[in-house]
Amino acid sequence: MRRVRLSALLVGLVAVLALVAAGCGGSDSEDSGGGGQTQGGAPDKGKQGGDLTFLAAADVDYLDPGQSYYTFGYQVLYASNRPLYMFAPGDEEPQPDLADGEPQISDDKKEITVKIKPGIKYAPPVDREVKTADIKYAFERAFSANVPSGYASSYFADIEGAPAEPTKGVKPISGITTPDDQTIVFKLKRPVAESVAQALVMPITVPVPKEYAEKYDAKAPSEYDQYVAFTGPYMVKNDPKTGKVTGRDPGKRIEMVRNPNWNKDTDFRPAYLDSITIEEGNDDLTVASRRTLSATSPTMCCDSGQPPIPVLSRAISQNKDQLGRVSGGGTRWIALNTTKKPFDNINIRKGVIAGFDRDALRKTRGGDFIGPIAQGFIPPGIPGYEESGAEKGFDGIDYMANPKGDPAVMKKYFDAAKQEGVTPSSGGELLTIATNADPGNQTAQVAQAQLNKMGFKLNYRKVPQDTLYTKFCGVPKSNYVICPNVGWFKDFIDPQSLLEPTFKGAAIKPQGNVNWSLLDNKEIDDAMTQAALAPAGDERSKAWADINKQIVEQAVAIPYVWDDNITLWSKDVDGAMNAYFSGPDFSFTTLK
Amino acid sequence: MVTYIIRRLLWSILLLFVVSFITFVMFVLLPSADPAVLRAGRQPTPELIAAIRENLGLDKPWYHQYYVYMRDLILHFDFGYSYQNNIAVRETIFDRLPATASLAFGAAVTWLLIGIPIGIISAIKRGTLLDRGAMGFALLAISAPVYWVGLVSIYLFSEDLGKLAPIFKGSGQYTPFTQNPVEWASALILPWLVLATAFAAIYARFLRANLLDVMGEDYIRTARAKGLGERRVVFRHGLRSAITPIVTIFGLDLGILLGGAILTETVFNIPGIGRLAFDAIQKSDLPIVQGTVLIAAAFVILMNLVVDIIYAFLDPRVRY
Repeated sequence: MRRVRLSALLVGLVAVLALVAAGCGGSDSEDSGGGGQTQGGAPDKGKQGGDLTFLAAADVDYLDPGQSYYTFGYQVLYASNRPLYMFAPGDEEPQPDLADGEPQISDDKKEITVKIKPGIKYAPPVDREVKTADIKYAFERAFSANVPSGYASSYFADIEGAPAEPTKGVKPISGITTPDDQTIVFKLKRPVAESVAQALVMPITVPVPKEYAEKYDAKAPSEYDQYVAFTGPYMVKNDPKTGKVTGRDPGKRIEMVRNPNWNKDTDFRPAYLDSITIEEGNDDLTVASRRTLSATSPTMCCDSGQPPIPVLSRAISQNKDQLGRVSGGGTRWIALNTTKKPFDNINIRKGVIAGFDRDALRKTRGGDFIGPIAQGFIPPGIPGYEESGAEKGFDGIDYMANPKGDPAVMKKYFDAAKQEGVTPSSGGELLTIATNADPGNQTAQVAQAQLNKMGFKLNYRKVPQDTLYTKFCGVPKSNYVICPNVGWFKDFIDPQSLLEPTFKGAAIKPQGNVNWSLLDNKEIDDAMTQAALAPAGDERSKAWADINKQIVEQAVAIPYVWDDNITLWSKDVDGAMNAYFSGPDFSFTTLK
Repeated sequence: MVTYIIRRLLWSILLLFVVSFITFVMFVLLPSADPAVLRAGRQPTPELIAAIRENLGLDKPWYHQYYVYMRDLILHFDFGYSYQNNIAVRETIFDRLPATASLAFGAAVTWLLIGIPIGIISAIKRGTLLDRGAMGFALLAISAPVYWVGLVSIYLFSEDLGKLAPIFKGSGQYTPFTQNPVEWASALILPWLVLATAFAAIYARFLRANLLDVMGEDYIRTARAKGLGERRVVFRHGLRSAITPIVTIFGLDLGILLGGAILTETVFNIPGIGRLAFDAIQKSDLPIVQGTVLIAAAFVILMNLVVDIIYAFLDPRVRY
């Protein structure tokens, strides 16, 4: 999951200090931040050259395109590599990057053919032209135990011959063939070419030269991450003889420089900047944000998704041109375990949602500065959002009608539950697993207070965010009842990638589970299976919006925000925000 | 003396074993994040998690993992590889050590230079306005959390954000000594001062109290009766005795700081051991946590030993 990393433990303390240090002199403007809308598209014209410093708290997850899976990692990856397709800032549809045109889908929807452009070369030391065999190898290695990709088996399992289990070593996949050096064909087991084609924007399609990479991939885990062969306009500095990446010092810095073998004629990215240096370890977001706004040399910040609220509110009123905003492409919600009492009763669930002040939950993350209150599970910018009623939500669902909570509707459903012998206290003490880091910690505390007020008794435990996912909320056997800090963000622009993993019964897993509500509804599952086959366009959007409605009608979770990701920059920078990876796009950013 | 040192070294090794064991057990038995699931990404299949677990050696019983870790550590001085990025822990720690050492030694010199003179003057000028002012300030400095002092100092004195006197380099400016000694020193002045503030205050109060005690001893009166000058009485007889306990806490403090000054390193974005440990704890990266804890423990133990040896030279009554 591309969860935005949190700069955990210190943020709470910083927030208090920030109120004193930043807020006092700032504006109390109540202007909406314009949540859900992109601000900071690709600049109309740019200035060639210049060096940019990006202040970050954490390191990227991986440079290896087979493994990279987090927002921040994508910011580096898409500037230094060329996948088959990618989104430019402002794009609603992906553009061919390595590919030389749209994917050709067969009539039976079981075959995808892609041609690639000639003349695209790897950076030193590989120095040769990219061939489709490199993309085939990239897919095959992603299914191996030594790499392994976090999503290959989710989005590309329908490729014929795709291994069901991670392979020992890199094994050929029969369903991927390369008739010539410029053509690659994907044969599928089911007629799902539309959704597989959508996923060809993912980093798994970045070519990997087999003859160079296989010695690194033979190691467990693969060492290719330290020897990536780059194809993009930029590359992380490396030793041109060995290929060893020298420009990455985890936790300290990443130095990106121009790729000497990049051919501008083959690319739509302007790549104005000469270099991008990512300075890591800026855990104090207030300091980093303020440094950025007042910097005298080109600077951007931060990898956290959102600057501290006092700094943000001030920036919105005083530094409007120094701020980029893009939808995070996801939803945050409180998951109610539908297999545990009392949430196995739908009326109790509806009552809880009706009574919840979801605006109060959103305020813990920044209020309307940060984005609209979520009314379902398809966020802005994703097909099916408009069909789901956008910010207004679905008509006729009374328990979602008032985001500030409606005690009368809550009572109506609690009374109905009582008729069935269920009350908020029916489940005894409900195991509630919250994160210990702000802002999630604050969200959970607000949720705790509201649930207590409704009559629920909680066994409230705070753990680090990673522990929350890997030991509790992602493990059904841990017997959690409420997970107040979960959320899901897109992998590509398709509602299936948002709803299927999180609400399909068949997706429930013993570990690493993300169907946190443990919703197992045959009608919804069947609808998803059908909708997966729908062609892109209105039909597909409508089908997934209907599923979204079915999920909302099941009242399995309390959605509370579709938050935006916000990036700050210094006065001399004209930043570009990319909605695909919900962050700044270095290939389009320019100096003024 | 040699026998004593050997005995202490053997005990130190045992202690390091205990520390490593406790750290390991804490991670394995307490509910920290599962590194295999963390690495497995978004929608991991059980098979994928199992494969990663095998790759990282996490499929083996915990005691076997511990045995392998200690075996590699003892035989090859190999601290293992990070769960997060597969980089050698030993290299990472030694890469971060110079920054931490720069911060710790610089701060130590600073707090000694500030704390000791203040302590002496306060003791000599006991009850005066100077004494009260110095001790009042010391109390304030002790009470102020280093994190807060760091942030305030950045907002007042750093070149980029300072509102009062923007004369020092602020956060994220650390440059290795080998790269540019001048930049190195200028980037560390503010962190040194911030880190030294509380320590200097503690040392000043501690030294003042010790010196006042010592100055009331019979041998001090005797020294004065013999006609020795006050300066000689204070520095030669009083301070030598009063400073002995200071050496003990100094050794421990320095040892602890060499293991990482987490807050100062975090506020000023100094890529040292403390920040490395902090990041690793957040990511449940046991090999890094284990390595940094062992290094920190080794420094504390080593400095303790050094202090004990110095003690023998400072205090003629101490014999090993």
